[in-house]
Amino acid sequence: MWFEFKVAWRFLKSNKTQTLLILLGIIVGVTVQIFLGSLISGLQTDLINQTVGSSPHVTVLPENQAPRPLVINEDKYSRIITFTGNEGGINRWQEIENYLNDQSEVTAVSPTINGSGFAVRGQKNLPIVIRGVDINKADGIYEITNNIITGQSSIGGNNIIIGSELAKELELQPNDTIKITTSGGISDRFIVSGIFDLGSKQLNNSWIFMSIRRASTLFNFSDQISNIEIQIEDVFASDQIADQIMARFNQINAESWQRNNQQLLTALQSQSSSSLIIQIFVIIAVTLGIASVLAVSVVQKSRQIGILKAMGTKRKRVGIIFLIQGAILGLTGSLLGALSGIGLSQLFVTFTRDQTGDPLFPITVDPTFIIISIVIATSAGMIAASIPARNSAKLNPIEVIHNA
Amino acid sequence: MPNIVETNNLIKVYGKEVKNEVLHGINLEIKKGEFSSIIGPSGSGKSTLLNLLGALDKPTDGNIYINGSHINELSDDQLALFRNKNIGFVFQFHHLLPEFTSLENVLIPNWIDGGNSKNQNKKRAMELLNLVGLEGFENKLVTKISGGQKQRVAIARSLMNQPDIILADEPTGNLDTETSTKIYNLLRDINKELNTTFIIVTHDRHIASKTDRVIEIIDGNIDKDYKNDPNDEFHNFENVAPEYCFLCGQNVVK
Repeated sequence: MWFEFKVAWRFLKSNKTQTLLILLGIIVGVTVQIFLGSLISGLQTDLINQTVGSSPHVTVLPENQAPRPLVINEDKYSRIITFTGNEGGINRWQEIENYLNDQSEVTAVSPTINGSGFAVRGQKNLPIVIRGVDINKADGIYEITNNIITGQSSIGGNNIIIGSELAKELELQPNDTIKITTSGGISDRFIVSGIFDLGSKQLNNSWIFMSIRRASTLFNFSDQISNIEIQIEDVFASDQIADQIMARFNQINAESWQRNNQQLLTALQSQSSSSLIIQIFVIIAVTLGIASVLAVSVVQKSRQIGILKAMGTKRKRVGIIFLIQGAILGLTGSLLGALSGIGLSQLFVTFTRDQTGDPLFPITVDPTFIIISIVIATSAGMIAASIPARNSAKLNPIEVIHNA
Repeated sequence: MPNIVETNNLIKVYGKEVKNEVLHGINLEIKKGEFSSIIGPSGSGKSTLLNLLGALDKPTDGNIYINGSHINELSDDQLALFRNKNIGFVFQFHHLLPEFTSLENVLIPNWIDGGNSKNQNKKRAMELLNLVGLEGFENKLVTKISGGQKQRVAIARSLMNQPDIILADEPTGNLDTETSTKIYNLLRDINKELNTTFIIVTHDRHIASKTDRVIEIIDGNIDKDYKNDPNDEFHNFENVAPEYCFLCGQNVVK
């Protein structure tokens, strides 16, 4: 192998321009591949984080969450159906919560009572979403405590915390009081203990958190709750976990983020596929480049090959010389291409920033992806070299030697 | 002296549909340490004979024994191994690898044989370069040295694996008369010193006349085969194959 490597290396060195050009071709190809791959996967990770990062992955709901016909009055002229909507909640929810807490793949469980109403202050009357939670459990999903901008995250008794936009609109500060009227018409006064910013305008505009017990009395839920919100370790396992919960408990329904975001997932899927197709074509182009350069090289070096054969080099070893050339080109080119791909990704992150100066989205350069790229480019180099290698092995030394 | 080369009824036919018989049954015996030449016009079959003797090609019929091995029976890879160990080649166009230095070119037969950069191999290659008068040129790329020096490197290379036979195809064909004579003297010295068998294919009647034995091939047959010895009438080079006399009447270094 040492001899074949030495000859391969000298052959490449002796045709400097040719070698540098094809190396440049491989470098550009691998750079594009790694930059594109990292860009797409960074973009997708970011999108998925935005979708599932601070929201439940699986939500356990009462079985009859969907409106169902309550009364149907039929006569021969008309048909009147009375629907019931958000009636009722989950009974025996502690049992479900205990079960979920025992599951290793579940990372956060937060029983919640939801309701809608209005926040009234002076002349202003704004629609709000009231969420009754245990703050320690809800932190597991929303990280409320870490995102309090003024005041505290305490929601005992009549204390509530409200979104920053809502606070601005109603000109509320911590320790101010506010009147809340539920959609059922029940009103009470609450004390603002803190103001949060959850990073979403919609949430900051409408959400208020209070303790689950206070929400229970406010909405007269007695022992029931509206739903249980869950986060899990592997976000793409949400379908299985939802199915698992539904199989285990009766009279409940479990919704996964994946089923609720089919369109987004399909879009991401097709984005990945098109990125993969581009990468495949880049590799094909690189392979063809290496193959054509080595095919030319076999012709250029036919005299040397003939001499080596006359002096006793076996056919296979001559072929190996060209395989090694392909491997050297593929490996060197892809290593340099990987470096330049990583560099380009960093440049992109550095120069594309939003108004606040943060990167638009993080590009994650995955080492496994880079190693795979290098392995593919090197094997592509060897595959590309196999045809010239076969041609070189066929060369007859006599023809070459006597036709100087 | 034992025969190092023996052929009987060697026939070579080229072409499958249009058959062209180039050698018509050559019987040849060459003794160990012999310094002989093969002469003949272009197309006479002398290069074909050399290819067969050099195990570069296989005969259509007949047998070749080199150093006791029946080389007809060997596979392509076995032939390659045989060439590497037993035969040294010196070609008209020197055929060095331009990507390598003089020393490396000399080492290549050893590398093919599985040798590496061990000092003892390098030392032997250096000795061979000294033998052909190229001390100080070992690290020069062969593209940077003169034609005569290239041919010296090629001779050193042919000796690297201590072969029993050296086949030289027009070794002086590309060189001026003075350099030709020097190269000839070098081959002769090696023959005397190492008792290596030489078979030299040449157009140069002057060179042929200085060899021990002249084998003249015409139309695929051995036409003449004679010993050169001082008492022989052919000793005078002007009597050797007059039809190939390029230098007759000119002042030639003897």
